[in-house]
Amino acid sequence: MMGKRLLSMFVASAALGIVMSHAEAKTVIHVMHQGDPGWVTTYGEVAKRFEAANPDVDIELIYAPHDAYNEKFSAAVMSKQMPDVMELDAPFLANYVWSGYLQPIKPLIDQDILDDMTESNVAQGTYPIDKDLYAVGLTDSSVVLYGNRKYLEAIGARIPKGVDDAWTREEFEGYLEKLSKLEGVKWPIDTFRGYGIKTEWITYAYGPILQSAGCDLIDRKTWKSVGTLDSDPCVDTLAMMQQWVKNGWVVPQSSGTNQFFAEGHPAALAFGGHWFYAEAAASMKDDIVVMPLPKFGPKGASPNGTWIWGITTASEHPDIAGKFLSFMLKDKQYRDYAKNDSAYPGLKSFAADSPLYSAGGPMAVAFEQASKTAIARPPHPAYPTITSAFMQAVDEIFNGGDVKAALTAAAEKIDTDIEENDGYPPFDEQQ
Amino acid sequence: MSDLAISTLQTQVKPERSAVGSLRIVQTASILVIALVIVSPLFMLFVASLKDDRFQILADMGSFRAFWVSNPTLSNFAEVGNLSGELAFGRYLLNSLIILASTVGAGLIVNSMAGFVLAWGSLRGRALILSLVIALYVIPQESIIMPLVIMVSRAGMTDTFAVQIVPWIASPLYIFLFYQFFAQLPKELFEAAQMDGASVFRIYRSIFLPLSLPALATVSILMGIETWNQYLWPILVTQTDYARPIAVAIATFFGQDSIYWDRAMAASVLMMIPILALYLAFQRWFVSSFVGSAVKG
Amino acid sequence: MTLQQPALPATAVATRPAWHRDRGRLFQEIGMLAPAVALLTIFLIVPFLLSFWTAMTNQPLVPRPTPVRFIGFTNFLRIFKDDLFWTSLWNVSRFTFWILPVQCGLAFATALLLHQKLPFRNFFRGLFFLPAITSMVVVCVIWGTLFQYPTGPLNQVIGFLSGGRIQPIDWLGDPNWAMFSIVLLSAWQAYGFQMIVYLAGLQGIPDELYDAARIDGANAFQRFWHVTMPGLRPTHVFVLVITTIQAFKLYTQVAILTQGGPKSSTETVVHYMVRTGFEEQKLGYASAVSVILFVIVLIIALVQRQLLRRFDV
Repeated sequence: MMGKRLLSMFVASAALGIVMSHAEAKTVIHVMHQGDPGWVTTYGEVAKRFEAANPDVDIELIYAPHDAYNEKFSAAVMSKQMPDVMELDAPFLANYVWSGYLQPIKPLIDQDILDDMTESNVAQGTYPIDKDLYAVGLTDSSVVLYGNRKYLEAIGARIPKGVDDAWTREEFEGYLEKLSKLEGVKWPIDTFRGYGIKTEWITYAYGPILQSAGCDLIDRKTWKSVGTLDSDPCVDTLAMMQQWVKNGWVVPQSSGTNQFFAEGHPAALAFGGHWFYAEAAASMKDDIVVMPLPKFGPKGASPNGTWIWGITTASEHPDIAGKFLSFMLKDKQYRDYAKNDSAYPGLKSFAADSPLYSAGGPMAVAFEQASKTAIARPPHPAYPTITSAFMQAVDEIFNGGDVKAALTAAAEKIDTDIEENDGYPPFDEQQ
Repeated sequence: MSDLAISTLQTQVKPERSAVGSLRIVQTASILVIALVIVSPLFMLFVASLKDDRFQILADMGSFRAFWVSNPTLSNFAEVGNLSGELAFGRYLLNSLIILASTVGAGLIVNSMAGFVLAWGSLRGRALILSLVIALYVIPQESIIMPLVIMVSRAGMTDTFAVQIVPWIASPLYIFLFYQFFAQLPKELFEAAQMDGASVFRIYRSIFLPLSLPALATVSILMGIETWNQYLWPILVTQTDYARPIAVAIATFFGQDSIYWDRAMAASVLMMIPILALYLAFQRWFVSSFVGSAVKG
Repeated sequence: MTLQQPALPATAVATRPAWHRDRGRLFQEIGMLAPAVALLTIFLIVPFLLSFWTAMTNQPLVPRPTPVRFIGFTNFLRIFKDDLFWTSLWNVSRFTFWILPVQCGLAFATALLLHQKLPFRNFFRGLFFLPAITSMVVVCVIWGTLFQYPTGPLNQVIGFLSGGRIQPIDWLGDPNWAMFSIVLLSAWQAYGFQMIVYLAGLQGIPDELYDAARIDGANAFQRFWHVTMPGLRPTHVFVLVITTIQAFKLYTQVAILTQGGPKSSTETVVHYMVRTGFEEQKLGYASAVSVILFVIVLIIALVQRQLLRRFDV
């Protein structure tokens, strides 16, 4: 009895929900996104401005936190509530395109935006099979080497002028050793182990070190990891990082992510993302030196990729969805907010407009990397397994595990996943 | 050991008084030590919520400066409370309260009835059902969440309040807890009422339920905490602000690249208030005239 | 659950009205049980049975155009071959072994203290319950700071108390310490609930029993051992069973603070499940993990009940 009464109560409240959700003749564009409060508010305002300019369109924003984003998307697919426009993390693009959820975006976006994209931005939105563009974004990301000016002057370190004269591995390790003996320096470098062992950070930031050294997480032609991730250059490079940890040169995982600018400035260098500049500059002011990532081998390499925008295959109005995206990417207030958030530019016009990244700005070196050394994470549908396996291996290695064994295990795990999925055709045909 | 103090005090044996005095000191000291251990981490949270600069909070972490604020300000609370536009704090708060009240209210009724029948009913197979209920407690929410999403979306329940309430009303833990409390009550209570011709529902309603205030209070609070902190489920089954709870809004402060420590801390403190209120409302029943008085009466 | 025979054989010889009454009673009982049974069936048992099915397939988290394949027990075999799974099982066992004495012991001791007629005891009860009403995310943020290495507050306190003799401990970063650190914060967060359960249990022991024991000349320790402990037996059983099951479901703390590391020393079964299901997006595989977890904990719960029952007699 009681149960029935309750049930009817709930049915009533559910019915109320249906009544309250507006049924109207307007074209509704659902936009799924993540982001912190400032971004969420900004998206809301952009949507309102778009609606004012296009009275027949209704933009419905669906917020999902970044840490539950894949789950949310999966739930949306299963409950047939796919959005028209979705924000997605760049390395997962290949997975989404391969699964058939995104459509080529070039015909739907204004040409001037497409022409404005940096190489790195194009790379993060490109699907390797058809080389077509599936996502666009105003922003991108990078990692640079931050240095404490006083410490670097004390050891007489050479400050690189740009990406082309970045430190070599020998120089870099030599400075680390000198810094380790310098008074006031507790740790020569923070590689942000404090972000945890299961964040994208590991694959995002450490992956390019492997590429710089001449290997990779996976061979990008044969899409096999065994023979690449467990090859000598990779083993050698991670053994080098393991040695830094053993020497006590690296800020431990449980010492937080603030050691570069915490009281007394315990860490001399910081291998940190572009967003770290705002945190560090708040207390260090002009004592920060921004340098390109060192070259660990024949070529320079730097991370890229961030949350970008795609249009789903479920959209009934892809043209309007594209119109909204073009509108947003050109929106003045949207760009102003991104600028104040010290966002890393993915469009050249936006870079020219950002005092932080434009020529002569404190982070100009970071932006220089976008056109010279940026390499996307492996664009393959097995990426979720690739990143998970690599994180596992790095945790093992940084805690003193056998480097070769850990990398072999990771490589085998990746290849097993690919085999289980019959090579994710047509990725198996690529040569 | 514990009842030493009570018993000796009650019997008022004079020669033991000095022993009692020192025992009292030891007890009080232990309580104060425990209190220090329990409270200081929470104090740190509170202090951080009064700091205006998120970078400063970050810089202070990992040292004793985390326990001190030189320029306390309530601005973080104002900012959190002021989420306007896309993140209307008031709306989320109201949603959370509706979900909390409905889930806990229905949960108390449904779970206590089941617990009562399992403890005092005449149904055959009660022991089996009880074992099954305990077994069900083993299932983690993470393992049923995707099948459940498919089920509720097929039933067209997404984006409603109901979808956040109904699935979590019945709970193995709380059925077990009610069973536990009811089973502890003396047999005489049940038999006497039965002699008077009271029906099972009546015995439950008029005799056992009023005696189980501690159980009701405990379940209310535990269920309240659980419901209040639901995070993954509401994200998966709601699309718009219509029925979204506050925990989802709070998640925005924990961004991918940086955490808004100032507002995250203030929001965390605010999140505790309704549960604290629930606790204070119920706390006098927590351990009040439980079984003892009923037996004596 | 339709019509059933009256439960008690005695009713067979009872008079007609009595039989009617018994049948009425039975209907009432079924009616009172029905809402819970129905809700549990729809929202817990059915989805769990569905996940049994999923466990036999290669279903990915994000649906794909390719059809989902039935692969029998392949997932289970793969799990049993994965060292990380066995590590996670070993880790939750270690966690359970530590959390039972630490958390339940602290809860029991605090309950005994607060059962006394001490000044402000209601205030302290409320105070000690505060961590239990704090969300785990917040608890992790707080303890992550306390645990910081090497200058975090906890290390500083230990250094001060030991006069600098004890070196700072890398609580969450040292594979030997990480799980114990998780135990500490979990006990801190959750012991308030056990404390309340124990307090209620203590309250349930009639004063007359203590009076009788005292008349018999029992000293405080004997009263504790022969009156308090037996009186709390159901409470102990409850606390033990619940805490064990909760321990095996350990997830949130680990996910936020250590993500299973360092060196897999805090990998737990549920964390392993989420890692494979949500991060590596192998939903079928993860479902198989949850089925295995269910079976394991069920066995433990049954064994525990049997053991405790044996001790009772």
